[in-house]
Amino acid sequence: MDKLLVSPSPHLHTKTSTKSLMRDVVIALLPAVVVSVLFYGWSELLVLGVSVASCVLLEYLITKYLLKGTCTVGDWSAVITGVLLALNLPATTPWWVVFIGAVVAIGVAKMTFGGLGQNLFNPAIVGRVFLLISFPTYMTDWTKPQGFIGNFDAYTGATPLGIAKEGGVAAIEGLDYMDMLFMNIGGSAGELSAIALLAGFVYLLARKVIRPYITVSIWVTVAVFSGIFWAINPAEYTDPIFNLLTGGLLLGSIFMATDYVTSPMSNWGGVVFGVGIGLITMLIRYFGAYPEGVSFAILIMNSVVPLLNKWFHAKKYGRA
Amino acid sequence: MMKTFSIGGIHPSDSKISKDCKIEVLPVPSKVFISVAQHLGAPATPIVKAGDQVKVGQVIAEPAGFISAYVHSSVSGTVKSVGPRKDLAGNNVTHIEIDVEGDEWAEGIDLSDTLVTEIPSDNKAILEKIKMNGVVGLGGATFPAHVKLCPPPGKKADCLILNGAECEPYLTSDYRIMLERSKEIVIGAAIMKQVLGGCPAVIGIEENKPEAIKAMSAAVAELGYPGISVMTLKKKYPQGGEKQLIDAVMGRQVKSMGLPIDVGAVVQNVATSLAVYEAVQKNMPLITNVLTVTGDCLPMDKQHNYKFRIGMPLSYIAEVAGGVPEAAAKIISGGPMMGKAIANMDATTVKGSSSLLYLTAEQTVRGVESACIRCGKCAEACPMGLEPFLLQKYARNGMMDELEENAVQDCIECGCCLYSCPANIPLLDIIRLAKGDVIRIIRGRSAK
Repeated sequence: MDKLLVSPSPHLHTKTSTKSLMRDVVIALLPAVVVSVLFYGWSELLVLGVSVASCVLLEYLITKYLLKGTCTVGDWSAVITGVLLALNLPATTPWWVVFIGAVVAIGVAKMTFGGLGQNLFNPAIVGRVFLLISFPTYMTDWTKPQGFIGNFDAYTGATPLGIAKEGGVAAIEGLDYMDMLFMNIGGSAGELSAIALLAGFVYLLARKVIRPYITVSIWVTVAVFSGIFWAINPAEYTDPIFNLLTGGLLLGSIFMATDYVTSPMSNWGGVVFGVGIGLITMLIRYFGAYPEGVSFAILIMNSVVPLLNKWFHAKKYGRA
Repeated sequence: MMKTFSIGGIHPSDSKISKDCKIEVLPVPSKVFISVAQHLGAPATPIVKAGDQVKVGQVIAEPAGFISAYVHSSVSGTVKSVGPRKDLAGNNVTHIEIDVEGDEWAEGIDLSDTLVTEIPSDNKAILEKIKMNGVVGLGGATFPAHVKLCPPPGKKADCLILNGAECEPYLTSDYRIMLERSKEIVIGAAIMKQVLGGCPAVIGIEENKPEAIKAMSAAVAELGYPGISVMTLKKKYPQGGEKQLIDAVMGRQVKSMGLPIDVGAVVQNVATSLAVYEAVQKNMPLITNVLTVTGDCLPMDKQHNYKFRIGMPLSYIAEVAGGVPEAAAKIISGGPMMGKAIANMDATTVKGSSSLLYLTAEQTVRGVESACIRCGKCAEACPMGLEPFLLQKYARNGMMDELEENAVQDCIECGCCLYSCPANIPLLDIIRLAKGDVIRIIRGRSAK
């Protein structure tokens, strides 16, 4: 001790950092990643690898050579975008399509706005929606699980929501919810196993990375909305459990709607945000052209976040 | 269910390493330097000059205004000089330098150990004694105690809250006096309660101090004064914040820019209660207090709770305690959340000194600031329900109207926001400056 440090209070600081929070999100995504690799095999591993590697590399190149500023890849946020983008794509997506998705996600949706903390829209969803609109053939090639374990025939079909959209409720008769809960839903890799996603949700809550308001209000809204329609006409409308377990609703509500940067800061703002996502999702599913609408719903509600932040504030002490 | 304040708060590690160290009396050094600015308000005016002989407990400086306090000599000896000297932050403050000779006490001070339980009936005389003996709040703000105990006309105290929360990590001085001087604290509470017109008194202690809760409850039961009770509070920082404690104990919230008495609350620290007992029952001026010498980098045998006299150089105390540890990078006076970093170890103890806390570089050096990720953790942590991320943005852009609309003036500077920020944004540093400006604007407006 030669010199004393002097600074204003407080003199202690939490161990939680941006890096540790982001790393926790990656850890929370691991169960879903493991399940998707096990069931989709090498092709899923390729999609994940290309997606994560290109997101990280692009952010590195952009911060270093284009912006000539501090390199921010160490904060793990590019890894999250990479994993989420991959989990939003079919395992059969060609590598160059994945790469284009990464360019749009990191290059356009994130870095043009000024990088982490500045982007208005969730980068992974922007990437995914861009690909969905640009390459509809690749993006709807939903191969039924076929990977390292399991014993399925290679099968190219539609997702449960797609089947329901085409053939009505009768077409999904016999669909086993237990399959959906565990690991047997056709669809993008991240939709495979509800249990794996819920495990991630529990981890994020336990580590206090996210608050439950947004996610739960999405679930409640979807359940209530579809519950009402289903109760009125079960032959026309799909039931609440089906709607909760399909179409990336869990992935979106747990990992993408809760993105710090693109969601409201206050709890009540979060509830309104969640209700909005739930409503728009169900409107698209029941009445829209697309079989599922979580991505669009989150993007639309992302654009309302600045307003929600303006309208909803925390309750202040002594100012009731 | 255990009570606590309703908005925000954080849970830093407790780190009450020195909690089992009994209070030891520090030997008197050969020389003391007594500051005339040991309280909130105007610095006291020295009434002694070089060459004067003083006794322990003799007045050496008088209040220089309504909000000011008497200062007494903590030693006997000869006044060597009266003049500027640097305090712990490095600011020049008038100090009275005294060469210690013997230990001769001023007359009228009861030095016996006898517990005086009989409370005088004359409230005016009690208040006069509290004032004459220089009692100030010892919970951090060092606000003159007698001022707080005289509610302005038209206002009435509904509850006296004794703050035994000691919510700052590391500090154990309040804890030790609650164990070792429980009865005196309870008598002090009974005195203040009587002065305030007999309102109930509640001693709030956090659940992580079961021994203190036991000791204080036993003292309350044994002494049998009516209307005094102990309340166990859930552990959460900043429970000991005045506004937070009022919310926790009474379920009432003080309005913005208002005073606790507006909602019928008077809050005093347990250490203040002990000082009130000493002043009223023993005629003992406030010249001693207890401070904690602690830190993770100190071995167990060098952790201490010391009864010190005001005016002792901090370097002297550090020396007696076994020296400043090699690993210490920052030394704090007060708790790690709201205390001051010591810039000058030659500074001396004041009435409100509560610790010498050694922090290592690893514990205290802040990380590099990165972009705000809008996680909202600062807003979640703020016990005043403010939005620090927003305030710092307005402050950096000099947006004074927005700062006032978003209640920057309500900030209590508890440090929860800066503590919680994962991006290491110096939220409180920025907000503190803006708060000062906004309060000046508000005051300037109401003065017109």
